Amino acid sequence: MISVIQKKNRKFKEINYYQNHDVSNYFLLPFRFQKINSKTEILVNEVGDFLLVPVGTAEQIILKKLDKIKDEDLYLDLISNFFISEEVIPPLLNILEARYRTKKSFLDHFTALHIFVISLRCEHTCHYCQVSRVTENKDEFDMSLYHIDEGIKIMMHSPNPHITMEFQGGEALLAFNNIKYAVLKAKEEALLYEKHMTFVICTNLAPLTDDMLPFIKEHNIMISSSLDGPAFIHNQNRHRPQRNSYEVTIEGLNKCRAILGEDNISALLTTTNLSLDYPTEIVEEYVKQGFSNIFLRPISPYGFATYNEKKNKYQTEKFLTFYKSAFEKIIDYNKKGYYIREDYATVILKKILTSFPVGYVDLQSPAGMINNVIVFNYDGKIYASDEARMLAEMNDFTFQLGILGQSTYNEIFYGKKAMEIAENWTNESLAGCSECAFQSYCGADPVLNHATQGNMYGYRPTNVFCQKNMEIIRYLFDLMEDKSIEKIFRSWITGHSE
Amino acid sequence: MKNIVTLINNELHFSLNEQLYDEDVVFKCFYWYGTDYNVEIDKKDNVFFVKISSKSETKIDHDHLLIKIKQDLIDFKLRDIVTKETKNIRELLTAKAFAHFETDENPVTEISDPIGFDPTNF
Ligand code: SF4
Repeated sequence: MISVIQKKNRKFKEINYYQNHDVSNYFLLPFRFQKINSKTEILVNEVGDFLLVPVGTAEQIILKKLDKIKDEDLYLDLISNFFISEEVIPPLLNILEARYRTKKSFLDHFTALHIFVISLRCEHTCHYCQVSRVTENKDEFDMSLYHIDEGIKIMMHSPNPHITMEFQGGEALLAFNNIKYAVLKAKEEALLYEKHMTFVICTNLAPLTDDMLPFIKEHNIMISSSLDGPAFIHNQNRHRPQRNSYEVTIEGLNKCRAILGEDNISALLTTTNLSLDYPTEIVEEYVKQGFSNIFLRPISPYGFATYNEKKNKYQTEKFLTFYKSAFEKIIDYNKKGYYIREDYATVILKKILTSFPVGYVDLQSPAGMINNVIVFNYDGKIYASDEARMLAEMNDFTFQLGILGQSTYNEIFYGKKAMEIAENWTNESLAGCSECAFQSYCGADPVLNHATQGNMYGYRPTNVFCQKNMEIIRYLFDLMEDKSIEKIFRSWITGHSE
Repeated sequence: MKNIVTLINNELHFSLNEQLYDEDVVFKCFYWYGTDYNVEIDKKDNVFFVKISSKSETKIDHDHLLIKIKQDLIDFKLRDIVTKETKNIRELLTAKAFAHFETDENPVTEISDPIGFDPTNF
């Protein structure tokens, strides 16, 4: 049996404790259960603590067939981990309340991440990108200084003392002068509003020039770049007339590492149909480039959004096969002593193995959109998330919350649109999720539901988000039964090998 | 589970007694069959009539499907017991967790840490 809380030693008990056992004299506390494999099932309580137990245990517990003496170990684990109680209201309920509050404490400060789509221009023509424009027309496709100012005003109104300002594109570095303006302006305002600022530029690194680096370094700006795998995948995914996107990226990565430091540059993987055939090669490339993390992201359904159930299911199954092969390779590297973690799994593992919330917008309930992230598009339109802006590029404005310079803070964050989205953003109240054992490790994604199923509420049995998360979470628990893998997982959440 | 009829054209029909399976259990259980099947549920005089047909061309393995349904019905019945028995405590928990936080006095309790569990660790 594995428990999230390490077992303490059991105290010595008086003789009357053993004389006085009553088989069904306990009350259930809220918990959910699910099979992990043919032998094991998982019990998860309301704050995400879990127990891995033999199949059939949930039935025994729920039908009150547990024997306090015969099943003493399990019984005491269930009591101490708040699965059952000997009193209707457990005397230590306030501890459970505090734990619940902590799990949801990402809500306390509200929106942290403010994405500024600083330019829609790009010099790449990636076939999967529905958004960027190859053009010199700055007036039409760069964010105006007026909209930057208005975006900063809204950003400073966030109750959150820690704000991240992220510049995205198109290719953000094509509008570097505007980034400079925005950083300086935001820093000035941050002093007034007492905000702690973090800056991020998302870039393919192609337009990076030596004269940009001093400014980036001086203002501690982090660089988030893209690496899709070895040259034959990266260059195929990311079209440039010279077919040298990979070479330019690696050169930029090395330059940034040398000048900004290892920790200030990261790379994101965009998975495409081509990538799905090369899981091992992709992981090997990340190791070759010295990365200690890789984020195996699913193929984005935006741009190809379709309500085709069969196609969505097939794509997700293919991605899961890819994910597991790549994951095995990652585990293999760790077993051989090379520390590399998979980021999606790490987010889930943090939720599973620690009492704290994880600020990852795609796996939250209430969802990360609006609560944690807001997007200011190049044209001044405001969206609930980055994916919501992708939809808008396909003329679906369902998740547009307002316009910079016209809408007030309350209209944007607490308006009718936000309220409509809010009705669908807690998995605790969604059909299918409400009794799902993985609820506390998963999240809700009304934008994805809308894009793939035509409504924000979604239908779990054929939902790509559900299909992916249900299997990945089950897979992680299945692997965790192997103690050596559990140890690797724990090293991922602490950030260092043990 | 009664009146089981397996039809060659990829269908399965059966009935369920409401005294054994609450409406919530029946609907929550067959909700998940929407991944691969079309499900129709009718109710007459405390009996649910369930019709399941395959969404794809693949032939239904009736025996396998029946075993799965029986197991799922038990599981969803168990889940329903937990949901209903713990409804009040769950509401209390969320309400108190989100109520304006004030440091409560330590709870007065008979428990003297009988299982070696130290609440101050949290
Ligand atoms: S989306 Fe699926 S896996 Fe996630 S909580 Fe809901 S039912 Fe569970």
